[in-house]
Amino acid sequence: MTEQYRSRFRTLTDGSDAPPGADHHIFIGPQHPWAEEPAHFIIHLKGERVVEADIRIGFNLRGIEKAMENKTWRQNTMLIPRACGICSAVHQNVYVRLVDKLAGVEDQISERARLIRMFSLEAERIHSHILWYGILAHDAGFDTMLHVTWRDREIIMDIVEDFSGNRVNPALMLPGGVKRDIPKEKADRAQPMLDKLIKQVEYHKKVFTEEASIRNRLEDVGVLTKEDAKKVTPNGPTGRGSGLPFDVRKATPYELYDKIDWNLVYYNEGDILATTLVRLDETLESLQICKQILEQLESTQGELLARVKQRIPEGSYFARGEAPRGEDVHYGIANGTDTPERYKIRAPSLGNIDATLKRMDGEYVADMPVILRSYDPCFSCTNRVMIINEVTGEKMILNQDEFARKAIKAKKYNRPFF
Amino acid sequence: MSDVLKELEGILNVTLPGNLVEEVIKVEEGHFDVMSNVTNAFELMKILREDAGIYHLSTISGVEKDDEFNVCYHIQHRIEDEFREVPINFIITKIDKNKPKTPSMLEFFVAADYYEREIYDFYGIYFENHPFLQRLILPERWPDDVKPMRKEYGWEQIKEITMKITKEGLEEAK
Repeated sequence: MTEQYRSRFRTLTDGSDAPPGADHHIFIGPQHPWAEEPAHFIIHLKGERVVEADIRIGFNLRGIEKAMENKTWRQNTMLIPRACGICSAVHQNVYVRLVDKLAGVEDQISERARLIRMFSLEAERIHSHILWYGILAHDAGFDTMLHVTWRDREIIMDIVEDFSGNRVNPALMLPGGVKRDIPKEKADRAQPMLDKLIKQVEYHKKVFTEEASIRNRLEDVGVLTKEDAKKVTPNGPTGRGSGLPFDVRKATPYELYDKIDWNLVYYNEGDILATTLVRLDETLESLQICKQILEQLESTQGELLARVKQRIPEGSYFARGEAPRGEDVHYGIANGTDTPERYKIRAPSLGNIDATLKRMDGEYVADMPVILRSYDPCFSCTNRVMIINEVTGEKMILNQDEFARKAIKAKKYNRPFF
Repeated sequence: MSDVLKELEGILNVTLPGNLVEEVIKVEEGHFDVMSNVTNAFELMKILREDAGIYHLSTISGVEKDDEFNVCYHIQHRIEDEFREVPINFIITKIDKNKPKTPSMLEFFVAADYYEREIYDFYGIYFENHPFLQRLILPERWPDDVKPMRKEYGWEQIKEITMKITKEGLEEAK
């Protein structure tokens, strides 16, 4: 297995340990320390084709796991959403479920509190997916779509702000329940907005499936077959685009996902278009779940917050949740005091890196921006690319826009990249 | 214990030899903890990977106990027809604190590479037969002997080291 994936076991950044046959090396990143998940990709090329791809990570270690061991369980409720900028609600949800289980209060949480938690999760999935395919369109050179999607994304952002007071970090959940209620007048205000967004997302889907210019950039690009996917174990939409039909909401149902009517989305093609369609269909599913939740909230009553003691009894629990990018994994150990003994977080993007490197094998360099985007890496860090010509030693430094522009031109006019 | 072991064997459709398994705990319906020690872990994982066909590794966590280290492999048994997963926490116990060493599972899971290197960084646990056990996450200037997630290093100490290496880096840049 190690021979097959040996690209990972290279570290030198100057390309001197490049694979035989490679004549150009592209270095992408590492980038601004305030960006989420900065990563350094090294792509070895032979002519226009990728021979191998490599990655270095770890440029943004903030020590959240260590910090959590020094704070109380209650304080950590507000620290944990900061693990990720855009999927903050799902981190908080997995955390509060873990604490509920360890404290033994999971039976006391009312249906209403669970519905409000689910609404927060689904709203987050909607805005994250819309953001992602907007940027994908931008990377593929279709800027109009970027503006259209981001305009429509504001609808769900307004709803989240109305319900929680914040745009991207709703922080609605606490161990034992939720902080805020969703009153009836707010739910009534949100219903027509959701209807409007459903129409818009249906239109986005039509553009991605019928508009030839974008479809050609995505179809049959970076194919990850099911056999390969089983080896590199992607999770979330990346895996579901390659025919692995696993979603934590279905696989091990949490909250009330087993009582709500929704469909699992998966495609077997494995190319970038398939992962895009998974996200588009999931957005529609999530919107319809949101509508169901708001309808059910009218008839469901209950206490919002159950009492949880400060000291959590000894024990360990492994909790998972379906984040917009894939499975979010937490493992917590309690020692009977009010601080955790150990808390482990694995955010979904780390599990998808292997799959993305595998996708690049043998692809055109012009497809790289799209493939890199495919696993939704919170990747505001592609903004500088250096290309070194091995024969002449000539260096060329491009920012992300120039790199994308060159890639678009090469694809459009069928010209060489360099 | 034997009832739980039988239930797990029924789900996985394999026999797990009693001498390899230390303990099996049922956390909740369809969620198990499997404990094994350092000597038997590789054999047991081989059965789980090759006979039971478990291919998904969610993550690996390192755990520091009073007198030993534990390494926990969070694997998922997938039942594709039912879209269902059975989470199994595969816990390797009795890792010596003075010379922490455990077999690498890279042969079974490609994804194990990053997670094992992360634990090597944070806890200094050495994974045998890992072909490229090198620093993954900690900064280049970080002192080799400081393993930040161990309990002996407090939050303040970690802060001091971080400030020190940042200053060094800034001075060198001048």
